[in-house]
Amino acid sequence: MKKDYQTHVFTSTYTADVSGVCSAMYELGGMSVLHDPSGCNSTYSTHDEPRWYDSDSLMFVSGLDEITAVMGDDSVLIRDVVKAVEDLHPRFITLCGASIPHIIAFDYRGVAYLIEKECHIPVLPVPTDGLKSYVSGVDLAFRAFVERFCDPLEYQEDFRDRINLLGVTPLDFSVNQNVAMMRKTFEDAGFIINCCMAMGDSFEQMTHAYRAGCNVVVSSAGRKTARFMNRTAGMPYVEGLPVGPQIASALISMIRETIRDRKVRRIEADAAMDSAELSRTGGILVIGEEIFAKSLTAAVNGLPPKQRDEAAAYAMWPDPEEGIAEEDLIPAVRKAKIVIADPLYKVVCREGAPERFIAFPHEAYSGRIFRKEIPVFAGTEFSAASMLNR
Amino acid sequence: MKEYQLIKETDYEYNADLGLSYASPVRGVWNIVHIGTLVPESHEIFVCPTSCLRGVVLTTAEMEAMDRLSTITVGEDNILEGDMEEALYRGTVRIIRELPVKPRAMLIYTSCIHHFMAVNYKRIYRLLEKEYPEIDFIDCYMDPIMRRTAPAVPSLWRQIHRLLTPSEKNTRQVNLVGNCFPYGPYSDLNYLLEREGIRVMDLNTCRSYEEFLQMSRSVMNFVFHKTGIPAVKDMKVRLGQDWMLARPGYNYDEIDADLAQAASLLEIPPFTREEIEEERRRTDQSAAEALEVLRKTPVSLDYTAVDRPLELCLYLDKQGFRVESVFIDVFTESEEIFQELKKRLPDLKIYQSLGWNIRQMKRGHEGKVVSIGQKSAYFNDTDYFVNIVENDGMYGYRGIRRLMELLKEAALSRKPMKELVQIKGWGCSCG
Repeated sequence: MKKDYQTHVFTSTYTADVSGVCSAMYELGGMSVLHDPSGCNSTYSTHDEPRWYDSDSLMFVSGLDEITAVMGDDSVLIRDVVKAVEDLHPRFITLCGASIPHIIAFDYRGVAYLIEKECHIPVLPVPTDGLKSYVSGVDLAFRAFVERFCDPLEYQEDFRDRINLLGVTPLDFSVNQNVAMMRKTFEDAGFIINCCMAMGDSFEQMTHAYRAGCNVVVSSAGRKTARFMNRTAGMPYVEGLPVGPQIASALISMIRETIRDRKVRRIEADAAMDSAELSRTGGILVIGEEIFAKSLTAAVNGLPPKQRDEAAAYAMWPDPEEGIAEEDLIPAVRKAKIVIADPLYKVVCREGAPERFIAFPHEAYSGRIFRKEIPVFAGTEFSAASMLNR
Repeated sequence: MKEYQLIKETDYEYNADLGLSYASPVRGVWNIVHIGTLVPESHEIFVCPTSCLRGVVLTTAEMEAMDRLSTITVGEDNILEGDMEEALYRGTVRIIRELPVKPRAMLIYTSCIHHFMAVNYKRIYRLLEKEYPEIDFIDCYMDPIMRRTAPAVPSLWRQIHRLLTPSEKNTRQVNLVGNCFPYGPYSDLNYLLEREGIRVMDLNTCRSYEEFLQMSRSVMNFVFHKTGIPAVKDMKVRLGQDWMLARPGYNYDEIDADLAQAASLLEIPPFTREEIEEERRRTDQSAAEALEVLRKTPVSLDYTAVDRPLELCLYLDKQGFRVESVFIDVFTESEEIFQELKKRLPDLKIYQSLGWNIRQMKRGHEGKVVSIGQKSAYFNDTDYFVNIVENDGMYGYRGIRRLMELLKEAALSRKPMKELVQIKGWGCSCG
């Protein structure tokens, strides 16, 4: 029988692609326009954007209404965007949208072209559909940015000490010290961060993304961008997140090797572990964004058996299109000895199953609810052993 | 372009819900999830794409009410295959099967996309009704694409009350319909009814589904907010309950007229001339006391706090307050009020809270300002504010006196504005 990914009796949902786009572009001086009736913008600004209150970055909803959608009257959106641009003077515009533009076959590329013609500033069409997770939206946005503003000819093989961090948004890293610690980890190893896409760096820095020897994909939300840069300039990439000193060290070695031989590498949870077997027999279940979950799992599996309750860890992550089916999730959670996951997953626990639940809040899942409790997991100061002893 | 315009330069047809919209961090106004959760022993199912689900799920999670909500995600397959009905049916059956306790009612929300998919959800509800006769199913809508013709909140109030079925009437029982907050000590209508021993029912105060169903026995529905009108009109047709709008304003003559009408409809004694005079005297005194505290401190207010912001501006101005600005996105009050205000206070600043220009406005105020409402407090960046939404259970003279008390308090003590205004669904007791 077909697996039911759609029904969520108990669990929450990861944030959507549209929030991913807005989050990715937030610090770059542009204006994000979300083509949607209403709601997606307040959801983003309330639950997904910790920078919203204290800054004035531009993100608006188009306020698509029934008659405009039925008539396919794109001139309304074009007129409204042009008016806003006249007043606000953004550097560029990002045009994304939710399910209604998708179902009425809204022409992102065509409308972007028409707006650009009137406003004389770049317009990036990012054809989201509101059906997928933020991982897809962040990636589409970054790829559109790179495609439009970055020059693949800038890439040179001798950028041996320069790296980019891809997939960086508060949805995965929040606004605590994660990004700073991650940067520090690589800088301490002798690397220069060419650009951190896209937290803490300027539009100009981002436009020179090809001036690096390697992309480090620290969240799966940067994967397609890395592949695109690999395809367009041959720039290699490594997937992994430095959660603690061991993984950081392994990742840094991988980056050096990759810069040398230009082969794609990634931190795996543990190639020797059979996840299916572990989900049947228990173990330490890590749930979260793919690269985070795999890296943390590897960090746990790297501990001496005594420090991890003699159990092996395995990772579970949401598919950007389907999420996690409860029929997979619930048995896995209840069979596990220890579960490391966002606190909202606790709802599927039963008494004594799992034996322990270690709360690890994730902004893209529980939004602002547990923001203050999000740990600093990126960098060498994080300790998987201490986390297990919490 | 300025973030505001003066009322003297503004037309009555002003509407900020045009063009690109901005969402401020102010989140006190209730949304459909908060309202739906008022139905005791019910369970909400949202059938939407991920982007729409996120907001409702986290609203519920913030209320710590995740056991009251499930979701069915609309996927690409449903769009391509046209099997949304099957997904809705299968999902609902699974939810019923897996919930630890069967709910008494299920509120199933479909969204904008379903209008375009031509989903025959009524067929599914009929099947579910047959299969689970012990559960009441009701179709609800989260479809902001229809907001110009059928906005979601009025529609939800109507749908919720469709759970009620015709029954024998009790002439000593009435309902208050369409309120996020219980009405009681700060409502003249409640005082009038309760002193005559009439039972006043309100969804807000129902503790069980059975109690909620008792609302069908009421002889009369009172509604304070315009958003409740579709519900009471529908109840008139389906349940034979008369209805009356108790206008939530600040005009003493209007308050008297509404209370007299309520008494007449229920055939109970109205307030006497002496009682009315006493109420007016006490209310004026209360306003004078608030004025004594505020003196020349400017006052700013917004539409999220009260239903009739222009009328409140007018009232405060007549009472001697220095009214400076109002945050409002569309005029829903009469043109008469608007024109009178324009004459009395031509330099009143009208701010739209949705417009793109306000995103980069320099929030703040030179000198102290007291705000009534969260949006006004946020944009003025003031900790001196009355923290209410949707009238907060205030109606009539008692309501005005309560508001004057809150205004005094607001002028005298600071509140942690940044923290308070970001709480979703202010005062929602479902959590």
